[in-house]
Amino acid sequence: MSEKNSVIMEVKNINLRFGGVIAIQDVSFNIFEGEIRAIIGPNGAGKSSMLNVINGFYHPQEGEVWFNGEKRPSMEPYQIAKTGIARTFQNIALFKGMTTIENVMTGRQLKMNKNFFWQMLRYGPAIDEEVQHRRRCEEIIDFLEINHIRKTPVGSLPYGLQKRVELARALAMDPKILLLDEPMAGMNVEEKQDMSRFIIDVNEEFGTTIALIEHDMAVVMDLADRVVVLDYGKLLADGTPAEVQSNQAVIDAYLGVPH
Amino acid sequence: MFYRETGQFKSKYKEELAAFPLAEDKVGIAILLVIAYVFIPLFGIPGLSFEFTMGAIMIPVFIFTITTLGLNILLGFAGQISLGTGAFMGVGAYSCYKIMTIFPDLNIIICVILSGLVTAIVGMIFGLPSLKIKGFYLIVATLAAQFFLEWAFIRVAWLYNYNDSGGIEGTNKEMFGLIVSGPQSDALTRYFIVLTLLVLLTWLASNVIRGRIGRSWMMIRDMDIAAELIGVRPLTAKLSAFAFSSFYIGISGALMVFFWLGAAEVESFDVNHSFTYLFMVIIGGLGSITGSYMGAALVWVIPVLIKEIGKTAFGFDAFVMENFSIIFLGVAIVVILIVEPHGLARLWQITKQKLRLWPFPY
Ligand SMILES: Nc1ncnc2c1ncn2[C@@H]1O[C@H](COP(=O)(O)OP(=O)(O)O)[C@@H](O)[C@H]1O
Ligand SMILES: [Mg+2]
Repeated sequence: MSEKNSVIMEVKNINLRFGGVIAIQDVSFNIFEGEIRAIIGPNGAGKSSMLNVINGFYHPQEGEVWFNGEKRPSMEPYQIAKTGIARTFQNIALFKGMTTIENVMTGRQLKMNKNFFWQMLRYGPAIDEEVQHRRRCEEIIDFLEINHIRKTPVGSLPYGLQKRVELARALAMDPKILLLDEPMAGMNVEEKQDMSRFIIDVNEEFGTTIALIEHDMAVVMDLADRVVVLDYGKLLADGTPAEVQSNQAVIDAYLGVPH
Repeated sequence: MFYRETGQFKSKYKEELAAFPLAEDKVGIAILLVIAYVFIPLFGIPGLSFEFTMGAIMIPVFIFTITTLGLNILLGFAGQISLGTGAFMGVGAYSCYKIMTIFPDLNIIICVILSGLVTAIVGMIFGLPSLKIKGFYLIVATLAAQFFLEWAFIRVAWLYNYNDSGGIEGTNKEMFGLIVSGPQSDALTRYFIVLTLLVLLTWLASNVIRGRIGRSWMMIRDMDIAAELIGVRPLTAKLSAFAFSSFYIGISGALMVFFWLGAAEVESFDVNHSFTYLFMVIIGGLGSITGSYMGAALVWVIPVLIKEIGKTAFGFDAFVMENFSIIFLGVAIVVILIVEPHGLARLWQITKQKLRLWPFPY
């Protein structure tokens, strides 16, 4: 976690409704550069919706998103991806017909720009670009220890590995902020340990700011620098893991309740 | 152990990114090229007359392979369905006809390529609905394009130069002093031209598919929401797929009329043909270039051979054989799809996979 605590991302008074359903109600919090920020809360609390607001998939009715000290204008998701925000999904959203390396290469899509003409010839600038980005992707694949499945179609991989490929794809975007939606859901203890280790490594080695949603409180307490607690779309608490854990409202609403 | 990766190490990513990283594949392609460029022109296909080999088998199979490649780019790689393939071939054919009328001295190959570009633009326009609709609704939209274009081929007399037949017809076209198209052209000359275009177009398609643009198509196909969040613009990805696909289909339409049939009317571009091309793609294998070859060859050649054998060997009535070949093809399609829903390309892949381990399957 950075010493200066400079704010890289801030959401202010977000209100998001789907028809009559209020998914997020007047929620504000910030994310420091280089920290691991956890978002917790019972099912339906609005956590995934919050990530969707941050990466521009949902447009809140009210509220502002501040990024790098500037208020972000309304943008399309692909434009927001360009600003350096990457994410993984609660229900894995890999490209099932493509192999691991192809999936990871899709993360470099925005950094590649050689035109149709060169693409058709696959020569000169186009192949140079391909090689250069392939190199970076291979580094990430090494880093996440998925070399052995490099050429396997992702649809046939076990769940835990799919989650890891999805992380690799997001990392390939060289993001400033990485949004992880329940990266360890449905994993066994070993897989969770591996994934936790990768998340910490990414944070420390690449200095990537991470916002993650996670249900396993033990994991959250280990990983997170600070925690936001949502409940029924409202902000319930915001603080260090220890502070949040001892907050009476959180204990009542969440910690005691199985989900 | 005839086909394997073991021992072929790549020291550079560039080598691994080549079209055929395996030496065996390179050899295989070289053999196929020699067969196509040398053996078939010299010896034909054993048991079949040379004229039949060229006019009824090789030239149409090559042309329909270009069509199938085009449709496969759209359906197999970009996941956008179209029932307008027949009509888009018509766009290629009619625009080639008009370009040749307006610029009578223009090289015919350039005319064919320009007509591919015209079809690309038309395809892009009719691809616009794909930005809003998917699946069945897109089928209906492309079907509407099919019928609209068929209507235009009949009603817009300018397209066929107001002639009484209502069709379009090729005239003799020379290139380097050789008649390459039209009634007096030699089948072998046309064969080489169509083959060379097919080889070039295959190479271009395989290049595009393995690069940035090809990946953007597959991303849209596999999961459009994730694609968008990663930074693919659906507009660019979908419309470029429609354009590139239509480019191929347009070229194949122009080739069909001016390098094979010699003349055509609206019936050559009707919706039944659209279905046939769809069969070729599905039988061959969605998202496979090799499959496009196999699908086009199988769906075209089986009925032709059945008809020919029935006629020459058993003296059956042509009409009876026509129906029999349709039934046979239908059964073949159903059987193939039950055995391997991913088409011939997957069967071929499985075979290669086995060869990789042979003779020790474990
Ligand atoms: N696209 C959507 N359309 C309608 N309702 C939605 C949509 N996305 C989320 N919601 C609703 O918003 C609420 C919060 O959902 P979500 O953010 O997925 O919760 P969490 O991730 O915390 O479990 C839920 O009531 C959910 O039904
Ligand atoms: Mg969720």
